[in-house]
Amino acid sequence: MDVYNSGLVQRKAIYVEYAQAVPLKYCIDPENCIYLTRGKCGNCAKVCPAGAIDYEQKEKELTLNVGSIVLAPGFKSFDPSKLDFYNYASHKNVVTALEFERILSASGPTMGHLARVSDKKEPKKIAWFQCVGSRDVNKCDNAYCSSVCCMYAIKEAAIAKEHAGNDLDCAIFYMDIRTHGKDFERYYDNAKDKGVRFVNSRIHSVLPVFGTDDLEVRYVDEAGKLITEVFDMIVLSTGFETPPEVVKLANDLDIDLTVGNFAKTSAFDPVATSREGIYICGSIAGPRDIPQSVVDSSAAASDAGEILSSARNSLTTVKEVVPETPVVGDPPKIGVFVCKCGINIAGVVDVEAVRDYAASLPYVEYVGDNLYSCSQDTQDAMADIIKSKNLNRVVVAACTPKTHEPLFQETLIGSGLNKYLFEMANIRNQDSWVHKNNPELATQKAMDLVRMAVSKVALMEPLEEAELEINQEALVIGGGIAGLTSSQSLAGQGYNVHLVEKSDVLGGQALNIYKTASGEYVQENLTALINKVESNEKIKVYLETEIVSTDGFVGNFRSILSTGGEEKNIEYGVSIVATGASALEPDEYNYKSDERVLTSLELDRRFINNDPELSKINSAAFIQCVGSREPDRPYCSRVCCTHSIENALELKKLNPEMNIYILYRDIRTFGEREYLYKQARQEGVIFIKYSVDNKPEVINRDGRLIINIVDHVLRLPVEIEVDLLTLATAILPPNNKKIAGFYKVPVNDDGMFVEKHAKLGPSEFATDGVFLCGLAHYPKPIEESVAQGKAAASRAITLLAKKKTNTIGTIAKIFSMNCSSCGVCISICPYSAPSYIEEGPFTGKAQINPVLCKGCGLCVASCRSGAINLKGFDNDQIFAQIYALKEAV
Amino acid sequence: MSDWEPKIVSFLCNWCSYGAADLAGVGRMQYPPNIRVVRIPCTGRMSPKFALAALREGADGVWVSG
Repeated sequence: MDVYNSGLVQRKAIYVEYAQAVPLKYCIDPENCIYLTRGKCGNCAKVCPAGAIDYEQKEKELTLNVGSIVLAPGFKSFDPSKLDFYNYASHKNVVTALEFERILSASGPTMGHLARVSDKKEPKKIAWFQCVGSRDVNKCDNAYCSSVCCMYAIKEAAIAKEHAGNDLDCAIFYMDIRTHGKDFERYYDNAKDKGVRFVNSRIHSVLPVFGTDDLEVRYVDEAGKLITEVFDMIVLSTGFETPPEVVKLANDLDIDLTVGNFAKTSAFDPVATSREGIYICGSIAGPRDIPQSVVDSSAAASDAGEILSSARNSLTTVKEVVPETPVVGDPPKIGVFVCKCGINIAGVVDVEAVRDYAASLPYVEYVGDNLYSCSQDTQDAMADIIKSKNLNRVVVAACTPKTHEPLFQETLIGSGLNKYLFEMANIRNQDSWVHKNNPELATQKAMDLVRMAVSKVALMEPLEEAELEINQEALVIGGGIAGLTSSQSLAGQGYNVHLVEKSDVLGGQALNIYKTASGEYVQENLTALINKVESNEKIKVYLETEIVSTDGFVGNFRSILSTGGEEKNIEYGVSIVATGASALEPDEYNYKSDERVLTSLELDRRFINNDPELSKINSAAFIQCVGSREPDRPYCSRVCCTHSIENALELKKLNPEMNIYILYRDIRTFGEREYLYKQARQEGVIFIKYSVDNKPEVINRDGRLIINIVDHVLRLPVEIEVDLLTLATAILPPNNKKIAGFYKVPVNDDGMFVEKHAKLGPSEFATDGVFLCGLAHYPKPIEESVAQGKAAASRAITLLAKKKTNTIGTIAKIFSMNCSSCGVCISICPYSAPSYIEEGPFTGKAQINPVLCKGCGLCVASCRSGAINLKGFDNDQIFAQIYALKEAV
Repeated sequence: MSDWEPKIVSFLCNWCSYGAADLAGVGRMQYPPNIRVVRIPCTGRMSPKFALAALREGADGVWVSG
């Protein structure tokens, strides 16, 4: 059974886990191997030309002495077999969302062709059921929300429509749509526009339609009508569970778990477990999506590294440097190594013929073929040949430079050759693998590719990489929770920090918040954090300070700071942007005209001040999504549902008789915040759902504060009189354009910074050396800001710890003599690498800063005077390849 | 139908199309073998001279992708 494809297809007893596996190696499935189970067969050992089969490999026990531990054991998808009313176990066309992912995947069992499991028919109607194994204490014990399922169901429905065409009917049956992540609400809106149906109903059961493979469901729609629908397929949006073996591991390690079996943490220390030195990341910390897991993992690395920082580099070994052999002026002596890659290449291409052909090419001194060029013994043999034959250029005809160029370049360096005296011919990925049925022409193509590579490599010159010192200080912009945490982590790992805050106090928005979702008092913890930062001699705090200008690049930034008009220059290697956000000041719901109408933060202020008036209130209401999820601000502010519910519970604590109403669109208490929602309903908080096109109305009738709303259960207008109305207002990014300009980092349509990668690079920018955390990235609760503050520090330290960095050698160079000072290169370069020379004989001509140049060649192709060369991809080198094609084409 | 096949020279950006051509191999997608790839660091490097040179050297088509 192929586990990777969720058991939808079979695999052999020798298999590669999946196409992108690292290392991409075969392994034996001991449960199904006939040799291992019955002692017969052994065929694989006989046929393997590399002798790589070893039946004796066993699990080994290793003892490691470590200073800190990071747990990242992941989750298990809820098994819906036990929910017999959904017929998952007995009907092939009821699948889990993970199985559906494989059906949609190009590397899945149907190669991405959308077909249902039972009869391979293309489905016309598919339904998704949300909250299977989540938010459910009746049919299972998972009271929490799994956080990610709404978004993945919408994604699956949208992709299914892309694969199968717009006629495909996709219906998502949900309780609340929880698209609280960055850009998720937009995705949800787009899915609605594309025709994905969203039905607010939890389905009771699935019935097979007799005589067909179809499935029938019955539900009550929002208008109260009973509807029966038949679907071709049903996808169960199964939730997260901590598997029993992880619970056991946690018990063995003696760390505390929550009722949902996730690791217990504090909002101010979100990746530390109850046991010192043990940290967590990913879904053991609670159900979370990829970006949040990536943030956590960087944060855990930061924490784990902080307690070990005194031992940094104590176990590293220094690599021996082989002096470089000068080759300039020598005629090329080229060695060509043709790889068989087992049978990956040799099964199609006649490798010996290619090798012999290579020997006939000009300047080729040596040819050879290898079974696996990338194996360590072949690398050693290649190094010996380079040295013994005095080769000064190398061509490897093998897989692809994208994955293996660095490996072969290391071999060159180890043999005393400059790593740029090298070229690869791609005869696997772009030849043998794609022309399987045409060995003759594939062999011909391999010869052409080798000839092209030989022509080019003969013209390659040794290139230099500039070595840059990385300034070991950091700048953190913004003194809120995220910036404070980043500064603290950087200082904790031994780096000096400049912390710049615009206002006259540290703390940012956290100064306005009463309690976290987990019930911790914010002010006490914040004060402790501020004290730690202020008393840390490695952190220099600049209050009432703004950045006037910034220039430089990774490792060597310079900024001018202005404190009350007084300017100061600072130099630093990395910058962390933690500029925060603020609450919207609403102009609806009588906010400005009635002092009984507050924003969430104003209510928090009253709690912080122990306002005695609060307990005298008889009736209070909260209106959610004030300014969020609106056409001109199409994002969810993520924290407001939980925060209003938390405050409702605080009011109930003050006066259990108080009538409390929460007027909402979807309740988004993701993860274990769901418990608060449940508790609020149990304590009698009344939740009334409204839609954006039928918003509640707030009026002042003879001094009484009245809310009119249509109740979603009664479907009748109701009138609520309250003494206090709290508006859960949107989180607004400040004007980030100035900072964005300083570091050349992008800002999205909502005004928030755009990170390097939405999933894999949430705490850094595409600009090297600039990092991101906190509300500047996206609205988030305190624990996530703390985690991202640590994460940004962690990412920055990976750079600082190197102390030096190398630029690439394949960059542009201007021959000033030929430059006509037209300025095209300066205006066209996306990296600002070219500039005018300001003094000396070539004043006014252009020059390239080798540190900023990324080697794209845009200036080279645009230079009207032909004054710019691109090392490694120069005109003569590319023309050599083109001319070498003459015989081929 | 004649059995004439065009000879195509392609200039592929290292970061996208060249990687995509590699992935086509990983996925074992099959295509005719009458194409020769020149890897360039970015299509910004592409010069009209390269296309003209390829055509002059006998190519029937030039494909730039990036």
